[in-house]
Amino acid sequence: MTAPTQSVQTQRRPIPWGKILAWASLVLILCITLFPFWWMLRTALTYPKALFQNTASLLPVQTTLINFKRVLGLISAQEGVALGGTGQAINFILALRNSIILSMMVVVGQVTFSAMAAYAFARLRFPFRNQIFAIYIAALMVPGIVMLIPNFVLVRSLNLTNTFLGVALPAMLMTPFAVFFLRQFFLGINREVEEAALIDGADVPVVFFQVVLPMTVPAISTLAVITFINTWNNYLWPLVVANEEKVRVLTVALGVFRSQTPQGAPDWTGLMAGTTLAIIPTFLLFILMGRKILDSIQFTGFK
Amino acid sequence: MSVQSSSIPKLALQAGSTRRWRTRETVWGLILILPSLIGFIAFYAVPAIRGVVISFTDWDLLTPAKAVGLANYMHLLKDPNFWRALKVTAYYVLLNIPLQTILAMVIAVMMSRLTKSLVIRSILIIPWLMPSVVVGLLWLWLMDPNIGILNAAIRALGGPTVPFLNLPDLAMPSIALINIWQYVGYTALLIFAGLQSIPGSVYEAASIDGASELQMFWKVTVPLLRPVLVFVAVTSVIGSFQIFDTIAITTKGGPVNATKVLNWYIYEQAFTRFNMGYATAISMVLFLLLIFVSMAQMRLMRAGESDV
Amino acid sequence: MNRRFLLVISVLTLFSLLLGACGGGAVTPAATQAPAATQAPAAAAPAASAGAVELQYWLWDANQLPAYQKCIDDFSAKNPNIKVTVTQQGWGDYWSNIQTGMITGNAPDIFTNHLAQYPTFAAKGQLVDIEPLVKRDSVDMSVYIGDLAELWARDGKRFGLPKDWDTIAIVYNKDMLAKAGVTEEELNQATWNLDDGGTFAQILGKLTVDESGKNALDPAFDKTKIAQYGLIINGAGGNSGQTEWSWLAATTGWKYYDGLYATKFYYDDERFIKTFQWYADMMLAGKIMPLELVTSLGGSAAFNAGKGALHAQGSWMIGDFANNATFPFGFARLPQGPEGRKSMFNGLADSIWMGTKHPEEAWQVVKYLASPDCAKTVGSFGVVFPAQQSGVEAALAAYKAKNLGVSAFTEQALEKDGTFLFPVTDNASEIEAILSPMLQSIMLGQAKAADVLPAANAEINALFK
Repeated sequence: MTAPTQSVQTQRRPIPWGKILAWASLVLILCITLFPFWWMLRTALTYPKALFQNTASLLPVQTTLINFKRVLGLISAQEGVALGGTGQAINFILALRNSIILSMMVVVGQVTFSAMAAYAFARLRFPFRNQIFAIYIAALMVPGIVMLIPNFVLVRSLNLTNTFLGVALPAMLMTPFAVFFLRQFFLGINREVEEAALIDGADVPVVFFQVVLPMTVPAISTLAVITFINTWNNYLWPLVVANEEKVRVLTVALGVFRSQTPQGAPDWTGLMAGTTLAIIPTFLLFILMGRKILDSIQFTGFK
Repeated sequence: MSVQSSSIPKLALQAGSTRRWRTRETVWGLILILPSLIGFIAFYAVPAIRGVVISFTDWDLLTPAKAVGLANYMHLLKDPNFWRALKVTAYYVLLNIPLQTILAMVIAVMMSRLTKSLVIRSILIIPWLMPSVVVGLLWLWLMDPNIGILNAAIRALGGPTVPFLNLPDLAMPSIALINIWQYVGYTALLIFAGLQSIPGSVYEAASIDGASELQMFWKVTVPLLRPVLVFVAVTSVIGSFQIFDTIAITTKGGPVNATKVLNWYIYEQAFTRFNMGYATAISMVLFLLLIFVSMAQMRLMRAGESDV
Repeated sequence: MNRRFLLVISVLTLFSLLLGACGGGAVTPAATQAPAATQAPAAAAPAASAGAVELQYWLWDANQLPAYQKCIDDFSAKNPNIKVTVTQQGWGDYWSNIQTGMITGNAPDIFTNHLAQYPTFAAKGQLVDIEPLVKRDSVDMSVYIGDLAELWARDGKRFGLPKDWDTIAIVYNKDMLAKAGVTEEELNQATWNLDDGGTFAQILGKLTVDESGKNALDPAFDKTKIAQYGLIINGAGGNSGQTEWSWLAATTGWKYYDGLYATKFYYDDERFIKTFQWYADMMLAGKIMPLELVTSLGGSAAFNAGKGALHAQGSWMIGDFANNATFPFGFARLPQGPEGRKSMFNGLADSIWMGTKHPEEAWQVVKYLASPDCAKTVGSFGVVFPAQQSGVEAALAAYKAKNLGVSAFTEQALEKDGTFLFPVTDNASEIEAILSPMLQSIMLGQAKAADVLPAANAEINALFK
């Protein structure tokens, strides 16, 4: 099946049924991938009380922006309840701000500190270097749930629950994956420039910041994007550590909004408006940095 | 992931400066790893040890912990809910992984023959980029038995209402379906990247030898793809064992405990039933299980050997 | 690509700075680390509220949110130094979020409590005992209707002041009744028994209609294609089955347990087993909306969407039907069982969390929420019956103004032996964990009540040994 493009040339040129079939299935798969997003938007644009009519209509029913207004808190609670919603706004702007602050903290911290460590592991010699690195790598295998409770207990005893620092800290100083990922890149770059600089009398930090880092911006930005998306999407940890509104991130806010169901019936139009807004930042990032994300695919399985 | 022995900087041009450089190198090395080392000790090493300690206590976080020895682990052995959670988790992994891997393989092979289009690859990766919370909410809505679009479509085709997430027998397959939707594109691109690295000359040689396409697939593609496949299998199995977000958003362990996986059971014990010690004990067991599973898997797939 | 990366980073940073400026709260990571930042929202408020105490108040009923928000606003007007934020969380996650909050240290200072939950919280030392405060401020406990206040007291301690009460009735779709030829009188006089389901079962049969218009009494009725269910209940019901099965089970003379804070439950009693099996059989026959269809939508939304003719619901939902039903509806009395009509008589109260930093201010809020003033305000919204007569009158006036006949609920409350109380118990969440999956599996047709309930009940009783 897997033949390269320059595959065997046959004498006759029959109708390439196989190829047509393959294209058809590929298109089908793309449709299945994209359709739910359309349905999300379609529902978000549907008037709340019209949700039960034309449930199969591919277009919004009684198209309206009221749901976006509702989740953004632009109408009163009384009106919200009258529309069959919860009357409780998700305070989307605040959650968005919180998500951005948290993600930036983690990205900046993790990338900086992991890059420093990765450079040390790749280039410098110091006692127990290989042993320490080996232990880091071993930590890659530890599942998140094992760390959840002890880390929660730690953050709680530091009085950092419901602070950004409390949510960010465990991933802010390092992750084993980030160190491993960057070390591989540092090992791969040419050391001649560095050595020249060192011989000229430059010290390690100068070399690191002025020579090495500029050469590894592609790798670092790739890591930054992966870290950003992982932090942005994280749910369980912020749910446990920071459920208070002033630090509540988007994923947790959506979970809370989901639970604000009036009498068991989810407020679907409001929820879909909320999810639509929540994925816009990811989409923007993807449009700008999509290539990086695709290039990083080989490394991202460790998350 | 083996630790590569590093090459020593060939800086020691003048013998005199060597020792001074060595000291500076050590100092700077330690300074550079210090923040990460603090992070590692505080949030990986100590918690891992602390987790073990907590698992030997009875602790509700509100009152002081009581040491109970092995009681949590003994209780676990005869806790039917734990065994059911284990079974439910295994069932999910078995539903999820084979289908997802095969589907991803098919997509990757199709793409490698048809197109390298950046747009298509981008579309395939989109679900993977989304928060599981969003994916869970979205599918909960799509799968709604009364007014969801999937049921509207099934009814339009003359079928009966399918309460995907609300019937015990259907709930887990539905969750698996949701996660396959989210991860299959990503997995396919991983395999696709592996396929791209196989040189075309290998196929040419095989086709000159008269191999059919199917033979080429089994004799050339699969063996050369083994490292990628092992990576995909191990990481996605480990990931599947830890499913939480989707279930937290859609079924919350129900109906009739049909989706109460280990992670959900741990969360429930710890954060709604005040049993930190017991929850930690379960998470330790899960950890051991994961190590065992991934080792067995690598052995099974003969990851170390190379066939060609 | 590098430049683009920098662009993204700077746009995001700028964006978060901007948003931060709008929010007025802590912006930079550094600032958020300072403990003082936890008071950030206060800093954003006008100077007048400097030194104001901030309290969190949670409730789960979205319909009541506007009413209690009004009470809180009135309270704040009189007490400018106390600022209360009201948050609504749906019933499904409300309790787990409060429990998690107690563990993580961010439970609300004040929250609407339920009789099913408070004994556990009290046992864990998570609720403030308000009895000394009640005595100190000599709160008049006689204004509260019936036993409502006493349900919240235990061993000389008190954990809440009642604010409302509720009973159960049947809400019906007038169009569907008319179409099926069932009169409102017939429905009001319906009887029920364990042998043949009485006239209530007959009515459900008439009101259950398939896609070709045949009702469930017709031999040609197709139960795989049901267009309209006779009855919608909210689910399997958990420990109390308040709106689901308690109003029939109780008419057989069955009781949950052998008294308040009992150690012996009777989920293995033949009368309960038979009643519950009757529900399950009706579901499997399509006369009651099946569990798997009702759980994702919620009973009232299904009724409002015209999926069924009758719906058993509590009085707190009256306003929801007024808001959302798109057809004429009315409220009918519960069917009469062997021992008459029976409804649970239940009430909510506000409790104070032990972890609050401001117990005195929290008490002021609780006291106000259970006061005649707030009762009148809440009553005037017409969403729930307040726990005091003056509030009930305001509520009745509000319902009348909305043209809603709610006598089915009030008559039930006044009827002799017409009510029973919520089964307040310890170990409620453990009981729930044992019982709920069993009840669900019976309603889904995967098990028979007689086969699984005795074992489940034994497991429950073992909790009290």
